[in-house]
This record gives sequence, C-alpha cells and structure tokens, in this order.
Amino acid sequence: MIFKKLARQFVAPVAAATLALGASFSASADDKEIVLGGSIPMTGPFAFAGIQFDRGLKDYVEWINAQGGIEGHRLRYVGEDTGYQQDQSVAVFRRITSRENVNFYFGDSTAFQQAINRELDRRDILMTGASFASELNNPDQYPLQFLLGPDYSEQVGILLRHIADESPGARVALIHSDTEFGRDPIAFGRNMAEQLGLTVAATIVTPPGAADISAAALELRRARPDYAIFHGYVLSPIPDFIQRARQMGMDTRFMGTYYTMDQGIINEMGEAADGFMGVMPYRYYYDEEGPAPIMDAIRELHDEYQSTTYIQGWMTGVLITKIAGETIRAGKELTGRNMRETLDSLRDIDTGGIMGVPANFLGNSIPIGRIYRADVSKGQMVPVSDWIILD
Amino acid sequence: MRIGSPKETYIADEALFRTRTQWMWFGILLAMLAIYPFVANMYWIFLLCLISINIISTTGLNILTGYTGQVSLGQAAFMGVGAYTVAWLDNNTGSPFFINLLAGAGMATAIGLIAGLPSLRVKGLYLAIATIGASFILQFIFINWESVTRGTRGINIDPPRVLGTELDNPDTFYWLVVPIMVVMVILAANLFRTRIGRAFIAIRDRDISASVLGINLPFYKLMSFGIASFYAGMAGGLYAYFFGAINPESFPLLMSIFFLAAIIVGGMGTILGSILGAIFMTLTPEVLRYGVDFASPFIDNPSQILSPLRTAVFGAVIVGFLLFEPHGLAEIWRRIRRFFHLWPFRT
Repeated sequence: MIFKKLARQFVAPVAAATLALGASFSASADDKEIVLGGSIPMTGPFAFAGIQFDRGLKDYVEWINAQGGIEGHRLRYVGEDTGYQQDQSVAVFRRITSRENVNFYFGDSTAFQQAINRELDRRDILMTGASFASELNNPDQYPLQFLLGPDYSEQVGILLRHIADESPGARVALIHSDTEFGRDPIAFGRNMAEQLGLTVAATIVTPPGAADISAAALELRRARPDYAIFHGYVLSPIPDFIQRARQMGMDTRFMGTYYTMDQGIINEMGEAADGFMGVMPYRYYYDEEGPAPIMDAIRELHDEYQSTTYIQGWMTGVLITKIAGETIRAGKELTGRNMRETLDSLRDIDTGGIMGVPANFLGNSIPIGRIYRADVSKGQMVPVSDWIILD
Repeated sequence: MRIGSPKETYIADEALFRTRTQWMWFGILLAMLAIYPFVANMYWIFLLCLISINIISTTGLNILTGYTGQVSLGQAAFMGVGAYTVAWLDNNTGSPFFINLLAGAGMATAIGLIAGLPSLRVKGLYLAIATIGASFILQFIFINWESVTRGTRGINIDPPRVLGTELDNPDTFYWLVVPIMVVMVILAANLFRTRIGRAFIAIRDRDISASVLGINLPFYKLMSFGIASFYAGMAGGLYAYFFGAINPESFPLLMSIFFLAAIIVGGMGTILGSILGAIFMTLTPEVLRYGVDFASPFIDNPSQILSPLRTAVFGAVIVGFLLFEPHGLAEIWRRIRRFFHLWPFRT
C-alpha cells in the first residue's frame, strides 16, 4: 500500500521528468535547430533586468517558432541564473555548452563577456548580452561579440548631440557612479562635449546607490549646469539629486542612459521624474508611431506594459534571426565566425520597429537612439527628438 | 574496525597520516584526482578548478582566522593584488607563469604584512573593520592606478604556457591548479606540526598566555597575515589565469565574506574544514541548479520561480550549519570516521 502510494507520488513524477529530459536530449540532437544559451542574472542586483531578458527571450523564441522558425530551423533558448556573479556566469556557460551545441549566447555582464571571450573563439559561438560597455565595442579584440544598441559612450554621445542641437554652447554636468559601469563613457563624453562646443561644468562621482548626496548636490549647485547627465545608476540617487536641485531653485534638465530609462524606474522616481529625459535605443511598449510588426506582436501577446529590458530580449531574437537567417541562406554553417561575417555584411537591418530607423552596425554596436522625456501627467515617456544616428 | 593507533614516538604523534589506512585513502584520493579530467565533462572540470582556487584562498584565511584567531575580511582584496601582479607581469614582461604566480603571491604577502599591522593593536571586530579598510584602499588602487590596472576597463591575461602548450581550457588548466592546491594544502597541514603553527594556535587560544610562554606576538601575528596573503595571492594569480580577464569588481568584499563563510561552514582551525568549506560553498549553488532542472517538467517558468528560491535555500543551509553544527563539516566528517573505526560496534 505504502509502496503504491510512493510509486504514485514519487516514481511517476521521476518518470515524467526522465521522459521530458529524454525529449529535450532528442530535441538537441535535431540538426535543424539553433541554440541560444544564456547566463541570465535572475537573482542578485541585476535581477530587475535579468528576469525581463529571460521573459523576452522565451516569448520571442515561442513567437518565431510559431512563424516557422529561422529558415526552417527551430530556435531553442537555454538560460540559467547567475546571480550576476562572474564565476557563476562562467559556470553556467560551461554547463550549457557541455550539454548543448550552442550557436548564440547571451551574457549578463561586462566582466563575464570579457572573461569568456577566448572561449567564444575556441567554441566558435557568437555572443551578445546585457552589457553596453564601450570596451566591448572593439571588433579586433572582441570579434565574436556584438551589442544590442549603442555602447555607453555612444549613449552619452547621443545625449550630447541632442543638447548641442537644442542649446548650443550649453553647460553640462556628468554625474556617474564610481563603478566600471559608471566610469565607462566619461572620458569620451568630456571629449565629445568639447567637440560639440559644450562646456563640461562638472564631473561628479558618487558611490553607486549613494544614500547621502549632500556634498555632490552642492557641487552641482556650484557648477550651475544647464543639463546633467546621470550614468552608472539604475534609480538611486537620481530622484534625490533632482529634488534637491529643485529645492535650490536650479533649472537644470536631468538626463539618463539606457538602464535608467525604463518606465518602471521612471514611475519609481515619482514627481521628480517629470521632465526627466534620456536616451533609448528601442521604442517603448506604448509607442505606436509608424509600422512596427515586432512591437505589434509584443502588444498582441501582452496587453499591459512591457519593460524595455523585455524588449531588449526581443531585439536579441530579431538580430539573431537576421544573422542566422542570412548565414543559412548563404549556405554557410552556423559558426561564430561565419555569422560574424554575415553581421558585418548586414545593411539597414529591419528590426520590426523596435528601432525607429534601419539599423547598421558600427564596429560591434548599433549607435542609434532617441531622446524621450517623462510626462508624468500622461504617465508615459514621450519622444522629444528624432532617431539620432552617431557616425 | 581499527582498535587503536599507538603513538610510540613524537614523530608518530606529529605525523600527518598515522595509519596505513589513511595513507591508502590519500593515495586513492590522488588517483581519483588524476583520473577525474578523463571522466568528467568540461563543466565539472571547470568546477573542480574553481574549487581548487577557492580551497587555496580558504586555507590561507583559515590559517589566519581559524588557527591564529585574527579575523580578516581582506582575503578577496589580497587575491586582487596577486591577480593584478600576475596580469601586469604577463602583459608587460612576458615572464613565465610560475614566476608570475610566485611574484603575485609575494606581492600579496608584502601588502598583507602592511595590512596586518593593525593586528598588533586591535583584535576581533575591530581588526575585521581594519581589514575592510585595507580592502577599500586596495579597491581604490585597482580602480585608479590606470597605468598598471587599466582602471575599470580591466585587464585581459593570456593563458599560461607549459612546454609550448597553452593551458587555456579547464581540462588543461586542471593540471596546473590541482597540483598547486594539493601542495599548498599539504604545506598548510605541515605548518601546524612546527613551532610556528603551534605559536599561531597559542595566540588564538590566549594571546597573553602565549606571550608569557615566550611567543613574540607581533612577529607571529604578522607572519600569519603574510602566509594568509601568500595563499590569497597565489589563488588570485590562478584566478586571473583561469578566467583570462580581471577588473576591480572581480574581487568584491562579498568574496571575502564567502571565504569567511567557507571556513565557518567547513570548520575553523582545521585544514579539512577549509577543503570541505570551499567545496560546499562553491558546489551547493551549482548542485541546487539540478533541483531547478528536476522541477522543469512540473513547473511553468521554473528558472524564474526557483532561481531566487535556490539563493534562499543556500542561505538557509548556511544558517542551519551555524545552528546545528557550529564546528562545521569537518566535525561531521570526524563523526563519520569514528563510526567506521568501531563498525560494526556502536560508538
């Protein structure tokens, strides 16, 4: 009796699991399959984005397979949590690549993408990921990696280009966290500001997520910039900076880069968000301007707002589809090097409306973005510039 | 069943392995380590390489904290010193890897001796805070000494070469890191058969009494810091070669806490504790992934639901150890051994 009960409660699920595993192994043996592996930060400090990458990638894979796959090949996604730790990211890479014949890989951080670079070369895998680090935008050193938009320097460059167009000769402050992420675009930003005839009134460094920004806020007041660009933060201490600036009667316009610009983050800023601007390489979920079949597909799938990092997951899928599709059409094997050649040959990539203009790679990045502004009364980010392409 | 282990000489009393059975098990362990890369896949070889690096660093910290009683939260920063030294030498001098590793360990020792100076005046939590201060200073140097560290961009390191062969994959790197780990663990075990090791233990148990017995406290405390940093530097150098790229965020304070947790979970003041603690801390999160795999057929979106749970389970297991087995895994291991010593009779 007990045995039978055990059999029902334990043996049956084990058998089901074994069958499912068997099914997944037999699926992996299918030649007509493209595998996308992923070291995904579903826990840890970057989980807010990692969970959305995971959802976006899964939804895209389901969607493209429902459309017939990529040139008749089924796309399969295998992602695992890394906790946003470099050694775990590498462990997940090793675990997935030891089981699967991986064609593409999604990395979770600059440190991981740097560390795994040599292994990509050995295994001939093409990688993209969460990082927009300028360091990775170097095809000589990172030939098997590409970014899903403009690198951080280019993001600041797009903001500066907008400022120079809007207010020639304006004074700009660069406020960044004291991290690899925060420091990334600062030297480039200072140079570009100078070239555009802008004045860098101050460069202010704070710890990431700093709680007390009194001294930094006073430094900002002394500099009296027309614009202040935040980089290297997700939320804190941006709202505090803005509120203090307003209390001090400053009319500085505040701006942010990609990871600060999601609607959810802007909502968390509360009243301080009104008028906050920033660069965004992708359309927002509710931006229905122009034909955008991929954005329509996302809206059809979900009738509530989807974050920009979720859309980044779809952008990964769209670029993979283009690169793999062209490589297959050219009759080449889906190796990293072949796909890199394809990537270099792609022109005017149609991202299905995720980007508002045809995309072109420049090095490893796609230096395209648009300036959006938070409109608290509408509860939305509204575009305030055309799509800006850096060359 | 073993009925006794007579120690008829002082040498026998101090021996690392006291019986033929122990030597036999040690031989079997070495043989298994030698066979391992031929039977395991790349993922498991990678994990054993990572475990070996963590064992080296944990052993160093156990010498300092477990044996000498000096609490340190600077182990990751000292690893960083070793890693950056190796990276700089590799990129600028082209010197052989073993010179680089020794130089990295030597540089970490020198920095460790300086960072250990506060231990001459303070101990306990105060010393822990002082070592955190040293970590912050080293972190600042990693970020801002751009000409050496390349700042936040980090440094790439070419894999070590042995007789023209690049050790650029876990299955080749294994033959470098595992022998170094074995040698360093044996050296650490032997340390406690000497006057130096006994002086460390005396300082831990009661520093004033140790001083009365003629132990030079400043000298031995600093020596303990130096040895722990040497181990950290060696582990850091191997880490740099293993991952092929480092940046200032590769050695966060959390990593030092990881090593401290490893010696607590493994068992403070035992070499076996360092090994078991490092294995446990490295392997548990990975083993818990299999729970996610197993649940996949039954749960929709298992990775999103179970990944945070995996982290929570890992934390709960550590808390469980602190509550129910404060002497760590080494004590459990001892109990198992005692059981088999008298088996089939009950202890």
